[in-house]
Amino acid sequence: MTVMAAVPTSGPGAGEQFEQLYRSSAADVYAYVASLLRDRSAAEDVTALAFERAFRRRALFDIRRGSARAWLFAIARNAALDELRRRRRTGALLHEVADPASELDDLDPDLAERRLLVRDGLASLEPRDRELILLKFVGRLSNAELARVLHCSESNAGTRLHRAIERLREVCGVTR
Amino acid sequence: MSRDELSGAQLEELAALDRILAREPVGEQHLELAALVDSVRAGAPRMDPAFAQRLDARLAGLRSAQRGYARLRAARPRVRRLAFASGGLVAAAVAFTIVISSGVLGGGAPRPVSPLERQLRPLPALATPRTSGPASATNHAGAAVGGAPATPAPSSATAGFGALAPGRLVHRGSALTLATAPATMQSVANQIVTATEHAAGVVQSSNVNVAGSASFASFSLQVPSGHLAPLIATLSTLASVRSLNQGTQDITDGYDQERARLADNVAAHAALLKKLATAPTLALQASIQQQLNRLEARIAAEHREIDRLLTAGRTATLQVTVVAGPRAKSAVAGPFSGAFNKALHALEAILAIALVVFAILLPFALTALALWWGAASVRQRARERAIRTA
Repeated sequence: MTVMAAVPTSGPGAGEQFEQLYRSSAADVYAYVASLLRDRSAAEDVTALAFERAFRRRALFDIRRGSARAWLFAIARNAALDELRRRRRTGALLHEVADPASELDDLDPDLAERRLLVRDGLASLEPRDRELILLKFVGRLSNAELARVLHCSESNAGTRLHRAIERLREVCGVTR
Repeated sequence: MSRDELSGAQLEELAALDRILAREPVGEQHLELAALVDSVRAGAPRMDPAFAQRLDARLAGLRSAQRGYARLRAARPRVRRLAFASGGLVAAAVAFTIVISSGVLGGGAPRPVSPLERQLRPLPALATPRTSGPASATNHAGAAVGGAPATPAPSSATAGFGALAPGRLVHRGSALTLATAPATMQSVANQIVTATEHAAGVVQSSNVNVAGSASFASFSLQVPSGHLAPLIATLSTLASVRSLNQGTQDITDGYDQERARLADNVAAHAALLKKLATAPTLALQASIQQQLNRLEARIAAEHREIDRLLTAGRTATLQVTVVAGPRAKSAVAGPFSGAFNKALHALEAILAIALVVFAILLPFALTALALWWGAASVRQRARERAIRTA
């Protein structure tokens, strides 16, 4: 990925900060959105839309309300959910995310099998549980940031996250 | 334990999860969780390099557009600012029109007049019918404690309080109570005397006592009737007006009766003189002479009464009392009082306009806020439904 040049904004250095946020989060945002939508083409559109919105609204970002990464994932989540609504209204066809099975070929068979198991298990989870796992594991949001993104309390976010992890373990047949 | 409460082990596992995500070491009991995290992250969809390049280009385009927009913004006023300014101007114009039409600035339709202001304004000419008996009128403004700013009366004496109704003779008497700080009592007293002299009046009696909070001053003034209203207006600017009491008495009928009696007595006097000239006896002459003497005494008294009535109709009395007390903020004596009062009135008008603008904009702002909040809530609920049914 090429490095985006500094974008002049209202404050000195804000452009560099946005670029840094973009570079550190773009892959994770795409992974989260693509897992949520299960559609590569829509995920690309939504990811681009999320970064455009974030760029345009960067002056509204308030560090007191959470990290920039959490703010970006909230924007991406809203865009993805809007896409889900639109898809439900129009009945749009899915363009499934490409199966990276070929990437597993080079791995140790046990590890490859485990990753395949987890990927399938994650796909079989309830959408809300899958979203929680992705926001935490891929987005690396704190529980407080999860709460802000999901519009719930921090303790509720922690509880829901733990239950989602348990369900993932369950569907993957993982024992502790 | 409530639904949202986690056990100690569960909390420890969540804390370990945060350490795993931060790439910090964890205990053996959490290695399985670390492997799970690794598997999820490794299995997450990855960006196509071509899309990454397109995304870079798209954001670079945004950056260029932003730079151009920033240059445009620096070169000319922002459209949004102009829109806000236009909206503000329209709102201010509407507010100004409303304020003007309500009479706050003295224009447009007449605004409600306070009793005190009504007293200080020129009274209309009396229209008592010529045939009516003696009439009197008294106006009180004693409820004006606290000192509302007085409205200066017109300087033209002929249009003022003392304007006489055609053919009527009216006596005017007023009592004005002012309040000022003890420190300015003497100054106010001096200005009362000066103002009276300027109004061609005389100070019949005065009493000034400066003794702290017990300070007071009283004046008995006599001024030409036509100068009474301007003088009251002038005195009202010297201190806070506590009360104003104005009275009028129509003395035209008394004057006419005196003149009629005088005419009768003069005629009777002339008749007696003729009778005296033809009186045949000394006794009759002496009797007529006595009647003449009594008649002349009455005529002289009637002349004095007529003079007194004329004087009463041409001059007015004004009792002024100055007490120690808080002054109205607009009643500042001194060389800058006029400018200060005008500034206060201008500020009052500006505040009135601002209040009207606020009152106009507030409902729109609240409605817009409520609509925005409602739309945002509905949209968010729809999003949450979308994730549940995805």
